[in-house]
Order: sequence, then C-alpha cells, then structure tokens
Amino acid sequence: MSDLRRLLLAAPTLWRVGVADIVAYRAQMVIWILSATLPLVMLALWSAATEGAPAGTFGPTEVTRYFAATLVVRQLTGAWVMWELNYEIRTGALSPMLLRPVNPLAFNLAETLAAIPWRILVLVPILGILLAWRPEAVAWPGLERAVLFVVSVALAFLVSWLVQVVFGLAAFWIEQSMGLFSVYFSVWAMLSGYIVPSALLPHGLDRLVPWLPFYSTLGAPVDLLTGGTPVEPGWVLAAQLGWVFGLSALARWMWQAGVRRYGAVGA
Amino acid sequence: MNALQYRASFLFEFGVSAVNVLAVVLPLWTIYGRWEQVAGWSFAEALLVTAFFQLLSAVMGGLVEPNLGAVVEGVRNGQLDYLLVKPVDAQLVASLHRVDPAQLWNGIGAVVVGGYALSQLPTPSPAGVFAAAGLCLAGFAAMYSIWILVICLSFWFVKVDNLRYLLGAVTDAGRWPVDVYRGLARVFLTVVVPVALVTSWPAMALTGRMDGALSAQAGAVALVLLGVSRLGWLAALRRYSSASS
Repeated sequence: MSDLRRLLLAAPTLWRVGVADIVAYRAQMVIWILSATLPLVMLALWSAATEGAPAGTFGPTEVTRYFAATLVVRQLTGAWVMWELNYEIRTGALSPMLLRPVNPLAFNLAETLAAIPWRILVLVPILGILLAWRPEAVAWPGLERAVLFVVSVALAFLVSWLVQVVFGLAAFWIEQSMGLFSVYFSVWAMLSGYIVPSALLPHGLDRLVPWLPFYSTLGAPVDLLTGGTPVEPGWVLAAQLGWVFGLSALARWMWQAGVRRYGAVGA
Repeated sequence: MNALQYRASFLFEFGVSAVNVLAVVLPLWTIYGRWEQVAGWSFAEALLVTAFFQLLSAVMGGLVEPNLGAVVEGVRNGQLDYLLVKPVDAQLVASLHRVDPAQLWNGIGAVVVGGYALSQLPTPSPAGVFAAAGLCLAGFAAMYSIWILVICLSFWFVKVDNLRYLLGAVTDAGRWPVDVYRGLARVFLTVVVPVALVTSWPAMALTGRMDGALSAQAGAVALVLLGVSRLGWLAALRRYSSASS
C-alpha cells in the first residue's frame, strides 16, 4: 500500500484525534489565541496616526479593516509544528512516532486544521467588539474578492505550516533552529504586512515583498480581501502556489535526510 | 550562567536583538515619515517610549521569565519542592536564581535607541531624570507583581500555565505612548496591567510632561501591587500540595 493511500485511509481518524486533542486543550488554546493580538496593538497606533490625515488610501476605517483582516488571517493560518518538531527531535520523542505507519507530520497537520473551528469561535467575540467600536468598517468585499480571499487563505495556511516544518526539521542539524525562527519571525513581522501594511512600505520594497514567502503567509489574503495588492492578484496567488511547491519539496528532502541522520546517531 | 558558555549562541542573540530593534522601530519610522505628531507625541518622544519598552522586555525576558517560568514547570511536575525546602524565602530564590544573559543585547539596544531619542530632544532636567528613574523602578516593581499574581493563578489552574504568554501579549501594548489608546484600553494599561508606568510615564518625565501627583500615584500603585502579590504568593504556596507529601 503506497504512503499516500495509507494517509488518505487514515485521514478521518487523524481528524478525530486532532479534534479530541484540541477539545482537551481548549483552555490553553483560548490563551494562545488571545496572545496573538498584536494586530490590535498595531491598530491602536495606526488608528491614532490616521486620525488627522490619511496615508494614501488608508484612513481610520481602512486601517481598522486591514488589521481586523490581519487578525483573522493570522489566526486561521496559526501553526505550532516548529516547536513540536524541535522538541521531538531534540528529546528523542520522535523515535516512537517514526514507528507509526503514517508520517508524524500528518498528525500535526490534522491537529492544526482541527484547531481552526475553535479559533473562529474565539475570534467572533473579539471581532464583534472591534466592529462595534468602528461600525463603519463593516463592508461586504464583493464576491470576487471573497473567493480570492478564501483561496489565498488556504494557500497561506500551507505556506505558513510548511515554513514552520522547514525550521522545525532544521533541528536535525543545528542547535539554534529556534533562534533562527525568531529571526525569521521578526523579519516576517516587518515584511508580511503584520505590523506595517505592505502598501505603506517604502517605495520599491512594496513591489518586492509579494514575491517573498513572508507576504504569502499573511499579506496576500489580507490585501486580496481589502483590495490593495501591490501587484496583480493573479501574480500574488501564483507566488503563493510557487512557495507551497518549493517549500513542500524542501520539507520532503529535509525530512528524508534528517530521519536518516537521526537514525544514524542511534536515538 | 550556562548560556555564556555557548559563546556562539550568545553572539547569535546579538543578531536576533538587532533584528528585533528594527522590527520595533520600523512602524514608528514609517508612520513618522508621513505625520509629524501622533496623539501629541513626536518621533523622538515615541522612540523614547519604545526604548523604555525594550528595557522592560529585556528585564522581563532576562530576569523574570526564566525564573517564574520555572516555577510554573515546578508546579506542574512537583519539582517546586526542591525550591521550597531551601532555608531562604521561596519567592526570593524563585525570582533570582536564573538569568538569561542573551537579553543583555536587548538592554543594550534599548540604551542605543533611547540615547538616539534623547539626542533629538531638549536636555531633560535633573528632576525629570530622577523622576524617570523612580517611575521606571516603580513600573518594574508593578510589572513584577503582576507576573507573580499570574504565576499564582497557575497554582490553582495548572491547565492555563501559558497565561504568562497572555501577559506578555498585553505588555506588548506598552510599546506605544499610552495616549495612542483611548478610553477603557488606556485605563487598563495604566491601572490593571500598568505597562504605561514603565514605558510612557518615564518618557513623559524625561520630556517634562510629568507632575508630582502622578508620580506619587505611580509609587503608591507599585507598593500596593507588591503587597498584593506577596499575599497572593503566600496563599498559592499554602494551596500547593507537592508531589510526595
């Protein structure tokens, strides 16, 4: 039986296990969700800044929409596989997981996906408060943008998860993969549109950013929803797709090379 | 002190800190490229607040987090007993026996950013400097107390031991001048989780916007919080039933 077929057969069970895990850790998950609210802090600053005069097309309403969208996308694409992989590789907890017929990463993917409904549930009151504060920010983006958004979020989820997988797998070779990830995170915060809307970055940088992986994890869906992509939407989606394929290939290679190395050390 | 033995990783942390400074300053730099003032604060003044925030992060990350994080772990796996049998007061030992020296880079970054900001502003008066130092200390004491209170919660609710990350997220709101926040949020950040005490108020003292009454208030808040957190800690210890006995 091929790996893929085995994986597909196991998928319903993996999903059930993922959901059970999330239900068991629901209290902790709420805390994690509430801790990822930097967009609200950024909103406060940008809101105060645009009170006087707008920046380009960004007035207080647009800023509210932008950071509300950022909050939603950040939650929908949230992953923790880097920490899990790092822990499992460093402590050797990976060993029993390698004995299973299905790739350990599949378990994590199922869990990450299972967390999404719970995240949405927790987000609803937060968004409610936000939009009650600025009711003029509520607007239907139009069917075309909504569809682009949904496709882009799915791709963003994959890119985000795969990036974490790559950094997590780096633990097979280097001690400091967590440190490297924190550097990545800081750069990501700057270039993905998390703390500065991509359209407001210095000229030149805003046209480069859509091709980088950072933008594919957050800025892409947000800008597609609010209608402010620095390049054509088609290119944005193409870049995302490219990163999905590229990172999958990299992750696959790293997994195979890493597991071989892991076994050779005699864990 | 183990971390210093790994010199390469210590130097690596310098790189990490440098990128962090960039990430903190970038939004301000982008914004003040377009506007002169935001909520009544100029670029240099806002940078000053950010510098104090970085200092707070360095102290919390280097001194408070490694220790109080270990307490939470100790509660979960019963290792806290080893701490409690020591003849010295448990809270003191728990708070001081670990240090993360990599955070020193963040502290240096804070001084660099703060130094640059001060160079762009009129020289603060000696009273201002004194008040700023006092407010900073009061603020650190207040934040430390809040941390202790949050840690105490994990004695009761072990499942939410990641509550301290939520505290970290709320602390993040202190990176801007407190005037950026409106209404309830501003009150929250000054009274409930007094980040504003550590970041905005010392900056206000250095730029001459502080008055004596407010400074006295800050001192009072810090003292009250220290007292409350001490009581909370003692109550939590009474609650703690160790791994064996």
